[in-house]
Amino acid sequence: MYTRYRRIVQSVVMALIFAVPVLNIYEIYAVTGTLYALNFGGLGVADPAVILQAIFAAGELTVPLLSAALFPLLVAVLFGRIWCGWFCPFLFLAEGADWLRNKIGAKRWPRIFGRGVWVQNPLAANATRYAFLLGGTALAGAIAIPVLNYVNAPGILSTEAMIFVKERTVSIEFGLIVILFVLQLTILPKMWCRLFCPTGAVISLFRSPFGLRVISLARQTTSPCCRENTCTSVCPMGLAPFRDAGNLLCVNCGKCIEACPLGNLAFQGFEIRPASAKR
Amino acid sequence: MIKLLKDVIEYLRLGTSDDYKVNRTRPPGAVDEKRFMALCIRCNRCLEVCPYHSIVRAGFGGKIGTPYIFSESKGCYLCMACCQLCPTGALDRTLNNPEQVKMGKAKIDPKICYSHLFLEHDVVPDESLTKIGALCNTCYNVCPLKDAAIVLKDNLYPVVTDACVGCGVCVERCPTSPIRAIHVIPTGMGRIDEAGFYFRKAKSHFEKSRSSASQQPGQPLSGERLLDEKFKIDSSGKQPTFEFPYEKPSSLEGWE
Repeated sequence: MYTRYRRIVQSVVMALIFAVPVLNIYEIYAVTGTLYALNFGGLGVADPAVILQAIFAAGELTVPLLSAALFPLLVAVLFGRIWCGWFCPFLFLAEGADWLRNKIGAKRWPRIFGRGVWVQNPLAANATRYAFLLGGTALAGAIAIPVLNYVNAPGILSTEAMIFVKERTVSIEFGLIVILFVLQLTILPKMWCRLFCPTGAVISLFRSPFGLRVISLARQTTSPCCRENTCTSVCPMGLAPFRDAGNLLCVNCGKCIEACPLGNLAFQGFEIRPASAKR
Repeated sequence: MIKLLKDVIEYLRLGTSDDYKVNRTRPPGAVDEKRFMALCIRCNRCLEVCPYHSIVRAGFGGKIGTPYIFSESKGCYLCMACCQLCPTGALDRTLNNPEQVKMGKAKIDPKICYSHLFLEHDVVPDESLTKIGALCNTCYNVCPLKDAAIVLKDNLYPVVTDACVGCGVCVERCPTSPIRAIHVIPTGMGRIDEAGFYFRKAKSHFEKSRSSASQQPGQPLSGERLLDEKFKIDSSGKQPTFEFPYEKPSSLEGWE
């Protein structure tokens, strides 16, 4: 159920990153911009990681910079990492890579990164992406150029869509998307989102304990409830939802809730529906 | 050895000549180049909103993704739509008066300009059509700040004044080929591409000594204050007053 809604929302976002430049060519400016920074009829919204870069690179904290990052951070406080799970076109692409992986049987290829490798561990994945974010931000502050913007995958994807619509070509940055797609197809699925994405890292920091999140209703949360360990096998972020349902990596996609044969997992948020009501 | 290393660091810090190019400006309202590179998040909203498609994305290199206006292909028509949309303040969003834009300054090359060739050097259209002299004045006619930025000297040939904002429409429309007779030199460039390493070194020294607070009243002047003092030396407007040492004759003999 959630997956179906998610596909609809992701398709709409994917269509919009092509439709907005077309509308702008016909001088309809209701929505302008790319996924680096958008403007919905006056409401300016910018990628918080990008804003963080600009703050450190310019060495100044101005009102326009802060106000642009305010809305996405508010969404993160209320809904967690919902941007990544439900809207980000790059995760859509990564899930496409996963689908292709199943189709061509890439799962049976010799695995370089097995389950036991450290990057599969959620703690190590979190450590990697925060190290990447910190290093990139420090470098941006040192050389006064927002370097992480060069590798902002959703931003690049939407910019390339705009360039394609306007000029019928793509720029060199499209190579990054292609490289990431191939790497995710062959070596490590969801590699970018789990290990590097600076936007996701900043959004994760702002998720709150009372916002939307997945909780486990099982009595004990140390070992899997069912023998198949369904939730762990479907989680796109490589988590074990029965144990670390509230992990920073969780994108609120709802796959584990759908897959759970016992109904032990549920969304919870704003304390509208108490945890015991599901039982 | 340390001195050499210092020189290399200085060279890198001063940037390469890629920073500025003739006929390549930032969009209107852009802050100075170094701060612009820090603040611009490459969201390309300015590019998207530009109704004339003047703003172009920079290609491969350190400046990839940042907006540029290449005046030779399309100038800026000063609609000021882009400045108000910039989310980070890389383009000054308070700016909405086209006359206050400072993208650069246009410069006419009198050796190529048709009007200058015709009037100053008496070149007339010859059969080979390699050098044409004509009263063209296209730049004057297309200038958005006509009669302020480009004026007709003696009502005949175009001259660029200090009111020029560097929009580059004149460059786009200039009929000479293959080289345009008018160029836009972006703000902050100072023809660094034509100068050498020692010029840039000297420029950095000059900029260091700019701060007038460090200069004592007794010390010899340097930097900008010296320039200010030098610019004050100007004879125009004042008539020298001196007495003629001889008496003017009231009438000349034999002439009346």
